[in-house]
Amino acid sequence: MDNEKKPVRVHSKKGKKRKETLMFIIFVVPALAFVLFATDIPFVMNIYYSVFDWNGISKNLTFVGLENFRKIFTSDKTYWTSWWFTLRFTFFYVIIVNAISLAIALALSKENRFAQVGRAFYYIPYIISLTAISLIWEFILGPAFDSLYESTGWSFFGMSWLGKPNLAFIVLVVITVWENVGFYMINYIAGIVSVPRDYMEAAKIDGANRWKAFWKVMFPLIMPSVSICFLTSLTFGFKLFDIIMVFTKGGPVNSTVSVAYNIYKEAFTNNHYGTATAKSLIFVAFILIVTGIQMRVTKKQEVEL
Amino acid sequence: MERSRLTKGTVITLIISILWLFPLILIFINSFKSDSEILNHFLELPKKLDFSYYAETWTKFGFPKLIANTLLYTVCTVLIVVLLAPLAAYYLERHKKERRCRIAFSLIILPIMVPFQSYMISLTRILGNIGLNNTKTGYILVSAGLCMPLAVFMIHGYINTIPIELEESAYIDGAGKVRTYFSIVLPLLVPILTTVVVLDALATWNDVITNQLVVGSNEAAINMQNALYMKFSAQTSDWSHALPGTVMSMVPSLIFFIFMQKYIISGATSGAVKG
Repeated sequence: MDNEKKPVRVHSKKGKKRKETLMFIIFVVPALAFVLFATDIPFVMNIYYSVFDWNGISKNLTFVGLENFRKIFTSDKTYWTSWWFTLRFTFFYVIIVNAISLAIALALSKENRFAQVGRAFYYIPYIISLTAISLIWEFILGPAFDSLYESTGWSFFGMSWLGKPNLAFIVLVVITVWENVGFYMINYIAGIVSVPRDYMEAAKIDGANRWKAFWKVMFPLIMPSVSICFLTSLTFGFKLFDIIMVFTKGGPVNSTVSVAYNIYKEAFTNNHYGTATAKSLIFVAFILIVTGIQMRVTKKQEVEL
Repeated sequence: MERSRLTKGTVITLIISILWLFPLILIFINSFKSDSEILNHFLELPKKLDFSYYAETWTKFGFPKLIANTLLYTVCTVLIVVLLAPLAAYYLERHKKERRCRIAFSLIILPIMVPFQSYMISLTRILGNIGLNNTKTGYILVSAGLCMPLAVFMIHGYINTIPIELEESAYIDGAGKVRTYFSIVLPLLVPILTTVVVLDALATWNDVITNQLVVGSNEAAINMQNALYMKFSAQTSDWSHALPGTVMSMVPSLIFFIFMQKYIISGATSGAVKG
């Protein structure tokens, strides 16, 4: 019996390994192939192109080593202006969107029908397309404000909201906050409803007013939500692109060019593919540091739950 | 049962929530008006529900074709993702100690961490080289490829919470891996798959950036949002057509939101890592 069994087992072990590889191919490779095609391979090619001088069309690429990077760091003013814009935008966006969405979440965290309808209202701008968002706000800042200016005479409506750098900056913050508040609100509510009600009641019995009860009891307990929202809004700010491309297109006078949009323009408007890929690598390094922290914090939170 | 007692704060927040939707309401009421009516009476309700601007926009900008394209993209993207992502997520979760699985998983979730701008440039080059730029096929492949990472990541996390014992008893009963997957695992994944379907359907329906990059202005392959963007976004003055167009492009998302609210909102919290 033993003699018979042994060779069979050896054979099946080998067969099993082959079968596992087949399973890997059936289960994993199709999905992997899509991701490789759409993102991983282009990502690696980006690294490759960053050491060439290339206009994106011609067949011959000139190897320039780290020259693209040197130029970016020494003489590319527009790139660093776009960093300055992006950092300023991120600063205001993170503070405003988190403050407003947390306040809304606190007011709408009760489980009744009013609160549910309210939540849905705040969430709706988050699910409509960028084209719609940009057309809606073009309409408001254009014909709607013009008409209000004529009837009221208030200079607020007569200002050139998309024509002056500072005003366009404010408009951008307002639109992105309006669009995204619902997303952060939902994440804050998820944290708030997980806080046992007894805790807040105990704080009240102990004589804490609502302001104090919130900061001393509630806030520490919803820290996981706070960190998720904070870091998500931070990376949103750094990666700001879509609304710039669709809405302001970087204007007026290039005052709203974000880093991501600067890279896009370098590639597709100026046809400097080499420089654009090099810029994108610097951008990636920065984003990876931020998302690295984000991942770590989110993972920690999973354990705590 | 909790009493639905409304505090002052809640009432104020509810009133503001209506203001929050005011931009949308404004677009809606003005979509029935002529250009001069819009300019002179934009805050008033339309005198009558005049659908002629909708009808004009519908034919003038070829909405049937745009809807057909956008629907095709949404259905194909969702089908590809919902078919392939759980397969990969399941295998990668259950074999996470193997090296090839760790490598494959890292490759799949890499795009969640790196920004789109770090691969879009070469992606358009690749599509050009293999003749897929400006085509429907090219767009569908890219769209599915971009939706895949987060889908795999979310399903992977979900499978982590499903006890392995169920599958083991199926193995003991002699079922192979493929059969175990389809008869035991897949039915358990329905909640997370619903969330994935809803999120990716909305993302594909609303997409403008990827369509713009892959098909540009090719009339045959353009989707609805990109078409509206190309026609109206350059400081339009043709509001009597732009507004009905905007409303028509939003209505499907809004109806979808009303029915799928629960899944959309649960998707917002489980996909929070993406940013």
